[in-house]
Amino acid sequence: MAALRKPKQPQPYDGMRILDLTHRYGVYAGKLFADLGAEVIRVEPPDGLPDRAALPNRDPRFAFLNANKKSIVLDFGDPRAEARIDALVSSAGAVFIERDGPLYDAIGRLRAANPRAVITAVSPYGMTGPLADAPASDLVLQAAGGIAWMSGRIEREPLALPFSQATMVGSIYAATVTAIALHHAEATGRGHLIDVSVQECIAHSLQNAIQVWDLEQRISIRGGEGTRDATEDIFPCRDGFVFLASPLAVGNSWKSLVAWMVEAGHPSGKIFSQERWSSREWRLTREAREEFRTAFTAFSTLFDKEEMARQAIARRIVMGPASRISEVIDDPQLAHRDFFTQVEMEDGALVRFPGAPFKLTPQVWATARAPALGEHNASVKELSS
Amino acid sequence: MKPDFLKGVRFADLTWAGAGPFSTKIFSDFGAEVIKIESSVRLDSVRTGGPFKDRRFGVNRSGYFASRNTGKKSVVLDLKSEEGRALVFDIIRKSDVISNNFGPGAMDRLGLGYDAVRAVKPDIIYLSMPMYGEDGPRAEMLGVGMTISAVTGLMWSTAYGPGDPVGPGTHYPDHAANPYHAAFAVLAALRRKRLTGEGMKIDLSQVESTINFIGTAFVAQAMTGEEPPQASNASGEMAPHGIYRCKGEDAWCAITVGSDAAWAEMARLMGEPRLADDTRFASTAARIGNREALDGIVTTWTSACEAGEVAERLRQAGIPAARVANSRHLVENDVQLAGRGYWQRVEHPELGNSLYASPPYQVDGERVELSRPPLLGEHTREVLSLLLGLDEARLDALETSGVFK
Repeated sequence: MAALRKPKQPQPYDGMRILDLTHRYGVYAGKLFADLGAEVIRVEPPDGLPDRAALPNRDPRFAFLNANKKSIVLDFGDPRAEARIDALVSSAGAVFIERDGPLYDAIGRLRAANPRAVITAVSPYGMTGPLADAPASDLVLQAAGGIAWMSGRIEREPLALPFSQATMVGSIYAATVTAIALHHAEATGRGHLIDVSVQECIAHSLQNAIQVWDLEQRISIRGGEGTRDATEDIFPCRDGFVFLASPLAVGNSWKSLVAWMVEAGHPSGKIFSQERWSSREWRLTREAREEFRTAFTAFSTLFDKEEMARQAIARRIVMGPASRISEVIDDPQLAHRDFFTQVEMEDGALVRFPGAPFKLTPQVWATARAPALGEHNASVKELSS
Repeated sequence: MKPDFLKGVRFADLTWAGAGPFSTKIFSDFGAEVIKIESSVRLDSVRTGGPFKDRRFGVNRSGYFASRNTGKKSVVLDLKSEEGRALVFDIIRKSDVISNNFGPGAMDRLGLGYDAVRAVKPDIIYLSMPMYGEDGPRAEMLGVGMTISAVTGLMWSTAYGPGDPVGPGTHYPDHAANPYHAAFAVLAALRRKRLTGEGMKIDLSQVESTINFIGTAFVAQAMTGEEPPQASNASGEMAPHGIYRCKGEDAWCAITVGSDAAWAEMARLMGEPRLADDTRFASTAARIGNREALDGIVTTWTSACEAGEVAERLRQAGIPAARVANSRHLVENDVQLAGRGYWQRVEHPELGNSLYASPPYQVDGERVELSRPPLLGEHTREVLSLLLGLDEARLDALETSGVFK
């Protein structure tokens, strides 16, 4: 695991300056640009953008989402700051703003200061509509966008996704549409205004639930009863859990699974060889799910995750370990690809970070630690002019 | 608006199923020419996966396929035939990007490996997105989106409590992290090509991409040495923070209370203002410590009210809240989505006037209008004639010899 230096090869966003005034749902977008060469500058009020106040110093969330950005401080309330804001905006290719943060209500001014720039405004519900100003949180947006409905067990409450997925989904849509708008703006000299609604981003991530409703008037629901094969679930093994998917339609996954049990002389092999397991419809029923769970668990608990993974690969069964976070860091495949990287913190300590989300050749991706408040005041000339 | 922001960008798009086509769709929606090269023998699994118009199977009747392939062109070619492959190379020569999400080695077996493609098109942007990357000890592991959730820790961490993982109920990594990290990488490669004239190879491991989507958990683990908690809907920073049962069948409301003042306001709304002074609930730390009792009190209130009403009253008081919306609610009753014109209907010869989610943003104050997805092989002759200059006689000959299948 090596700390990545800034690549010698030209990076995709060399020469691109991006002002980043996001503080919650849009924060990851700037990181994506920064790690590919853009100069991404957090422009912060004297006490920092709201995420600094909300999160303790060296908070892992702040550290990851703001990696490789710069930070400058500007007193937005001071009338003398206006010329500096205009100078900064006019030096930028894109400006990310976010509801409840600075300049969100100054779009006209931003566009006037730089008509060539892409202005991307991120907000919980969008800039318009009856909920434009409604209070929000990550959990609430996962509910409002419909993804919370999709997870959990049917007898329990719906279950939201962990680790701020409203932020991640909102940010990745903000990043891609900004990159598209930049493609056009750089070619034509005409900027754009993008109004990203996080609720809409979540509602855009519901697999096929919208079409299932529109075309078949069925509501997709947590637990998967009636839509998911009995085998598609998480099951215990000797030292944890595995995820299995062996519906009849997926390659030879089912045949191979049953053959393995039969070969091992396990009684579950006989159960799954019965005729009714070749009925797709029956396999969607609650009865099938219960029978499968009991009989498969009797088999799966004989093996550990490592062995299950080995067998899955050798036998072409769609199955993988449900790893803990602290196990993923030892994943042999990730080690082979040298995926994780190290980032040097302010105090010199090295911290393991996820490596690039995509492996590029030539290698032009690099990350670095998040900035301290105002760390780059001296190096951004528009601030002193 | 039908934006032409990416006009002039052309894809030879071999992606299929969920994640791949979702990432190339954003390009066709913004005016790129995305030529979907598919097979009528080995059909795209979402063409056969449904849901189907009128619940009747047909290769052009899947709503799932439709939602992932708006604005693309469909060319049907037999990649196993020499002539079919030659035509693909001819399309590649005129493309900026070639994209696939097959397993490792599949493109090589088709004769379309990176080196072979670069030999005919030196500045190609070559996107692959296999589950675990192109090589390594687990590269051959088979998986669906949920397998990616499993091996990344996302499944373990989506849990009702310690040791009780459930996992996301959808193939979540296919619908957000992976298609859009891939799209972002292609857009970056396009910019770099404009700067340097060079192409790029993008090897997106869907596992590595998804790990970035839960990257905060990995950095937390690295900084503390501890496994991040399996926290359910609860938060270590706020209480109440959860999804609460409401009046009616399977009706729920998400509520998050971020301060003592907000809690006092909520107590007043619940008709129990004295709860604000109750020492069990007087501070965030106290509320987190007494979460079970607190959630019981909240549930008593919410279960007597409609979910929409609970959410509305709390929002009016400045407290984040929302009904847990299902697909039907989003489509039929969500005033915010409707107010912003989020849903659009697009005519299609076999799907009729069916429903699509707009790209989740407005551009210059307008919606991006979608163009309908292609019928299987709809553009085969058009692309080969307009792009490659094949004449009618040649097209007929190819058709007769079975290359268009």
